[in-house]
Amino acid sequence: MTGTDAPEVAAALYEIRERIAAGSRLAAVFYEEVDGERLLHYVLANDGGLSALTGCVGFEPVPALSADIPAADWSEREIRDRFGVSFDGIPETRPLLPPGDPAALRRSSATEVSTVLYGPIRSGIVESARWVIETAGEDFIAVFPQMFFKKRGLEERFVDVDLELAPYVAEHVSGATAASHATAFARAVECALGVEIPERARAARTILLEFERVHQHLDSLGKLADDGSLAVGAAQTFAAKERVHRLLAEATGNRFSRGVVAVGGTRGDVFGALHETCASRLGTVEREATSVVEGLFNTQSLLDRLIGAGRLSSEIVQRYGGVGPVARGSDIRCDARATADGFMLAPIGSAEALERDGDAFARARVRQREIRESFGLIRRALDAAPSGTSCVAVPAASGCGLARVESPQGELIYGVRLVGGRLRRVAIRSASFANWPLFVPALPGNIFTDFSFIEHSFGLIQAETDR
Amino acid sequence: MSNWIARGLRRGILTTRYPHAADAMPPRYRGAAEIIAGAPVSSLAAGAEACLSRAILTDGHGPQLLMSRCFQCGACTRVAPDAFVLSPRFDVAIVDGHVADVRAQLAARVRRLGRSIMIRHVDAGSDASCEQEISALFNPFYDVNRLGLFLTATPRHADVLLVSGVVTHAMAEPLLRAFQAMPNPRVVVAVGTAASSGSIFSGPDIAGPAERIVPVDVAIPGAPPPPLSIIHGLWVALGKTEARYREYRT
Repeated sequence: MTGTDAPEVAAALYEIRERIAAGSRLAAVFYEEVDGERLLHYVLANDGGLSALTGCVGFEPVPALSADIPAADWSEREIRDRFGVSFDGIPETRPLLPPGDPAALRRSSATEVSTVLYGPIRSGIVESARWVIETAGEDFIAVFPQMFFKKRGLEERFVDVDLELAPYVAEHVSGATAASHATAFARAVECALGVEIPERARAARTILLEFERVHQHLDSLGKLADDGSLAVGAAQTFAAKERVHRLLAEATGNRFSRGVVAVGGTRGDVFGALHETCASRLGTVEREATSVVEGLFNTQSLLDRLIGAGRLSSEIVQRYGGVGPVARGSDIRCDARATADGFMLAPIGSAEALERDGDAFARARVRQREIRESFGLIRRALDAAPSGTSCVAVPAASGCGLARVESPQGELIYGVRLVGGRLRRVAIRSASFANWPLFVPALPGNIFTDFSFIEHSFGLIQAETDR
Repeated sequence: MSNWIARGLRRGILTTRYPHAADAMPPRYRGAAEIIAGAPVSSLAAGAEACLSRAILTDGHGPQLLMSRCFQCGACTRVAPDAFVLSPRFDVAIVDGHVADVRAQLAARVRRLGRSIMIRHVDAGSDASCEQEISALFNPFYDVNRLGLFLTATPRHADVLLVSGVVTHAMAEPLLRAFQAMPNPRVVVAVGTAASSGSIFSGPDIAGPAERIVPVDVAIPGAPPPPLSIIHGLWVALGKTEARYREYRT
């Protein structure tokens, strides 16, 4: 997010397309108004880090990047629906956000023949979202997500909140992955203000992020076991997940590690508490988690449902800008932890978990490997045991910052603008937002009863998508 | 082929006996904030200033901490440790005045049919953690089936509606319709601080706390409330134990 002497969007797009052709990935498009000027920030990612190219909205409609770069599709449609910027050439004309008028919401897309509306309330304990399913009997012809029922205006909620309290707002974007959101937000502020956090806090955040990956991967695998009617396997997987939450509650005071990440480090000596708790608990938690997942992969009836379901080619994943286990299951190397700005205490090496097949099985397999890998990273961070303080003070300064962390669902990006130490704009591109568009090409060719397997193999969070 | 039965047996019994026997959260657990008696006015004001969800009232009839608004962050205890303390207690459910009638009707119906309590869940705008904690009720550590509590896929034979999250405008109508589809008597339980009071949420997307749309009988604060808190809240809703808090929410 740079200054306001930006070129017109059309001029900026020229360079953006060149950079994408040269290997960068379009990670996000953020909208911002600065002194009455309307700006589009195009965030590009590569292994060297994140960079933003800014274009200003002059004459409308502005040319759409999604005309040939599908990775821009959801971002441009959201900006169109949310901020009223009109684009020329967005291939998908349906609105992304639901219309404000509930009557229109009922009417929309219910007019086509053989169209099923599934949601927003579905059976089981699930987050609210709706799918518009076009079907001819058992086969999926096309599926369109109709989401943002849970849009809570959280980007706006950050504005002018004290930096001491703002991580709590980030934790409300996705409470299930609170450490990822608080850390990504804190990192963006620290980048904006040029703050280096103490090593002890970095180790603590690394451990929290990896525990979060373990409990969310177990959640995804447990749901898959449940889908496969593997009652005992599912129960044992959720029991292993429960053990992670109990360890976190004992160490951090909250089962989802909420309230411990602060701008400038951690609140109190979180590393010390984790070190103490892990000394007695980590062994059992790790053994239970890894052995139950191994059991799942030895159960043929479950594997039969996963193999071939929701297959995505690496080419499609690349074009849509997929991230996280969805990308790694289709042989795309995409892990913020392995990048220069990836923030790990010790970056992961080439042993990254990659699978080639691109189906639900491949994505589950990625999760299995990553659970084991995460415990390794936790142990390394614990062994490093950096001493010293856990938090540094941050200056009340101005600046812009972009930061990413590898959340359990994949790359999570926060962009912030601060003026005199006050938050002016916070923009969030979650991994779930980046991955949902891939659900559309994943379903055709599958049958109705594959739906939940494909959904749970994606393992995405609605709250961070809608925000 | 994995032998799941043998594995399950090897683990022994993991399940808590709560609510039939005591259970506890670990000592470091941060539950709801409480006001320390005799705290100086300046400290109370500092705590109120630091509260993102406006749970601390200092005007009117003395200082008051609205339990349904507290999302248990502990910011007040850091700026004013002489005025606020976080309690590790999990039995924080708040009961509404008229719940006694509903409970009596529900108890009569369940007795008459000789059956279990059926639960339906609706996410009205949650942060995703409440769903995972409600799901955890069914894992071997809590296993609420042992208490006769079961999940149902349809509101048509649900006795209890669990609502999670602050209600967004887009979810207001689906939530109301799910409630209306339930037979009488029906109990509504707001799970989490956001559903109980709206928590930190405000702005054009927000319709309000669950009680703005459906009549809430029991509210369980927490962000998210741990499974033990939810069991306690359900036990309160069913009239098997008394709530410690009665609060006229503002």
